[in-house]
Amino acid sequence: MDNNWTGTTYGNEWMHRWLIRLLRYIDTRVIYTFTSLCVIPVCLMLNPSRGIIYRYFRQRVGYGRIKSAWKTYVNHCLFGQVVIDKFAMYAGKKFNIEVEGAEHFTELTRQKEGFMLLSAHIGNYEIAGYTLVSKEKPLKALVFAGEKASVMRNRNKMFAQTNTGMIAIQPDMSHLFEIDQALTDGEIVSMSTDRINGSPKFIEHDFLKASRTEHASDAQSHGAKAKFPLGPFAIATARSVNVLAVNVMKSSLQGYKIYVTPLHYDKSAPRQEQIRQLSDAYVSELERLVCRYPTQWYNYFDFWGESPEPSDERTKLSAERKHD
Amino acid sequence: MEQLIKDLKLQIKEALNLEELSLEDFDADAPLFGDEGIGLDSIDVLEIIVLLEKEYGIRLANPQEGKAIFKSVRTIAEYVQANRKK
Repeated sequence: MDNNWTGTTYGNEWMHRWLIRLLRYIDTRVIYTFTSLCVIPVCLMLNPSRGIIYRYFRQRVGYGRIKSAWKTYVNHCLFGQVVIDKFAMYAGKKFNIEVEGAEHFTELTRQKEGFMLLSAHIGNYEIAGYTLVSKEKPLKALVFAGEKASVMRNRNKMFAQTNTGMIAIQPDMSHLFEIDQALTDGEIVSMSTDRINGSPKFIEHDFLKASRTEHASDAQSHGAKAKFPLGPFAIATARSVNVLAVNVMKSSLQGYKIYVTPLHYDKSAPRQEQIRQLSDAYVSELERLVCRYPTQWYNYFDFWGESPEPSDERTKLSAERKHD
Repeated sequence: MEQLIKDLKLQIKEALNLEELSLEDFDADAPLFGDEGIGLDSIDVLEIIVLLEKEYGIRLANPQEGKAIFKSVRTIAEYVQANRKK
């Protein structure tokens, strides 16, 4: 099974335009209800994501069969809500946003040096782009180049008001130069760090060992290694920049909570050790939030993967080459 | 130029920890990227960018320029010779 995510936002441009128009006049809760009752059950029947998320609840979170099935439905409903919220923002709707750890962001924006924000596909990261902003320091968000034009256009429009720009991942590696330039210019670079895009190199970590979650039972608990992209950690340590984990979780129907957490690593350590420390810190923070909000895990692919194939093993070995 | 190529091969080998690649087998004209060559990727480019900055004071910012420079060790050496500040 493929353990890389290759998808994009559902629907075509016409549907996106109509959804934005609709959201200008209709309460999001009406659309939430319609989606939960009419759209999600159909999606669950047609989409293989139900099996992936069910296994996530059974094997990684440690829920029983019935609870896992119910939480699979809840997970898809919540995902529907965050997608609707994204379009609601494009339509001009406001949400109640609480920030935990905003001082870490503010402190770094006062420094001359650039820094990085590492996120994941949990909650609704896009909300942070409109909230964690700095007048002094531009923010560049690394985005999937294959996203729908309507989404990119609306993002551009929203981001233009908040000193935020986008860097699209390109096959010719040009995004790497843009990231490097932004950090050298003292800007903020934000990217998700839970999907392998661009370079196939990865670093493996035990992630969501069921024994570490409060719902685990001995019968169900067995750890599993997950692959995280090496790129973000390699970039941060190559430029010795400070790093914050930023995750945005849906806390109520109209509310979000942003968690800003500094990720520490020893900048004087050998390079490979720096990468290990930084990725450890990132994975610990991700695990903490996924345990707190297990239904907001939106990686709809086989995140933990199967046994590494020979080609995977080569990539892993190459990823683990010493950089010091 | 030949000495610079030799130095670059050694520096790239060390920076990317290409232990399995001997300097003799490291062809200066072989493509650095793709299946036909050494098979480096974008993360390795980043390491070479940092290397050029530290060792030769060269700051690369133009992605279009980068594609031509990173074709092979020889093209990197030619660029370094023309632009080095150290």
